[in-house]
Amino acid sequence: MTIKENIFENLRLELRRGCLTLAVLAQLRQEHYGYTLRKALAERGLEIDESTLYPLLRRLEAQGLLSSEWREEDKRNKRFYRLSGDGEGIFVQLLKEWRAINASIDNIL
Amino acid sequence: MDLLDRYLQAVKKHLPWQRQDDIIAELKANLEAQLEDKEAALGHPLTAAEAEDWLKQLGHPIQVAARYQPQRSMIGPALFPFYLYVLKVAFLWATVIWTIVAVVQIAAQTPSELTVLAAVLRVPGMLMTTAAWVTLIFAIIEFVAARCPGKFPMLAPPAAHWTPGDLPPLGQQLSGGRKPRSFAHALTEVIFGFLFLVWWLLVPRHPYLLIGPGVLYWHASPFQLAPFSVLFYWWVVGVNVVQLAWRSADLIRGSWPRPRTAQTIVVSAIGLIPLGLLLSVPDHAYVLLRNPALDQARYSAALTSINLSIQWSAVILCAISVLELLWGIGRLSLDRYRKYAAAMR
Repeated sequence: MTIKENIFENLRLELRRGCLTLAVLAQLRQEHYGYTLRKALAERGLEIDESTLYPLLRRLEAQGLLSSEWREEDKRNKRFYRLSGDGEGIFVQLLKEWRAINASIDNIL
Repeated sequence: MDLLDRYLQAVKKHLPWQRQDDIIAELKANLEAQLEDKEAALGHPLTAAEAEDWLKQLGHPIQVAARYQPQRSMIGPALFPFYLYVLKVAFLWATVIWTIVAVVQIAAQTPSELTVLAAVLRVPGMLMTTAAWVTLIFAIIEFVAARCPGKFPMLAPPAAHWTPGDLPPLGQQLSGGRKPRSFAHALTEVIFGFLFLVWWLLVPRHPYLLIGPGVLYWHASPFQLAPFSVLFYWWVVGVNVVQLAWRSADLIRGSWPRPRTAQTIVVSAIGLIPLGLLLSVPDHAYVLLRNPALDQARYSAALTSINLSIQWSAVILCAISVLELLWGIGRLSLDRYRKYAAAMR
């Protein structure tokens, strides 16, 4: 990877980081377990690594934005996540912020 | 799948023990579901090579496990710039204090190449110890601030409680329209001041550092330095230690861009003392004969000529220093007058 490519990759990751959290919170308005959440995001055009998504779910849960429960499905125990009450409030605020940033960028461009 | 179990086992090893079973159970369920989808899409169980490629794509077990840990840093980004600043200041102070102690120690012994070399070789260890202490203190501050946010306001990064009114006035830095001294310039002065001091301390033991091969002629000559030279030598050491300490303090306080008129005046004034000593030597006898009884007749004219040339050198040096002192006093007076005139307008 050249220095320019490396700089671009770092900036791209930085740009994506906040958006991923927003996308995960949005998608978890419906209940999902890790793998189906990843598939659902990919189907909507947002590919996300397992090693990024699964720890992110844990962090968001630890912050109280998600609630989770272990449940059996297809003869396998899975941990299902969904947006918590606090998470919904934060999600609405973040969405508003994201739309404002988008509108500003559009104006600048 | 054996390879997946081995992968999960490797990840588990690097997870916090309180949560490792829970995390591994969840990761296993997710990866097994993904594996089933992959095999269904391929229409056959994954071959060993395909399984290896897939797991490699997931990432190294240590990296995967690390992502489940909270982001940890010994000194966080809010505190880090202050840590770097304090570290630089601590390095400069440690170097100044160490230099003074080393000069005193070397002076107490007989200055030699080995004692100076030993003192210089102790510098890296001293700097590492300084860095270790500063890092430890900041790591403790970071730890306490992260664990008990808001409980110890005095431990908050200084960025939280600074006031713009505390910033130094702009006028002081460019008084008299002179160009401010750069950091590189100020640092170079300190480094060269230090090197000069080391060199000067080595001269008595190794005079060839001062007069080169001429030392052979000196040893073979019938001349020797008068006893006053010891006093003169230590005055030169003293003047340079004062100058080095002052310049280092400027660096530490961040005041190197300011004009150094007062400092120049004081150093020039102190510098006049050894020159005054030189000029007050009785009969200007700087150099004496080792065996006056034997050599007086033969070397009397040469001795007079040597002492006369030293005397004139001292007179010229003294004149230059006096001019420098007067120049400094003049500049300081002019600066004061300009400030006074500006205040009266």
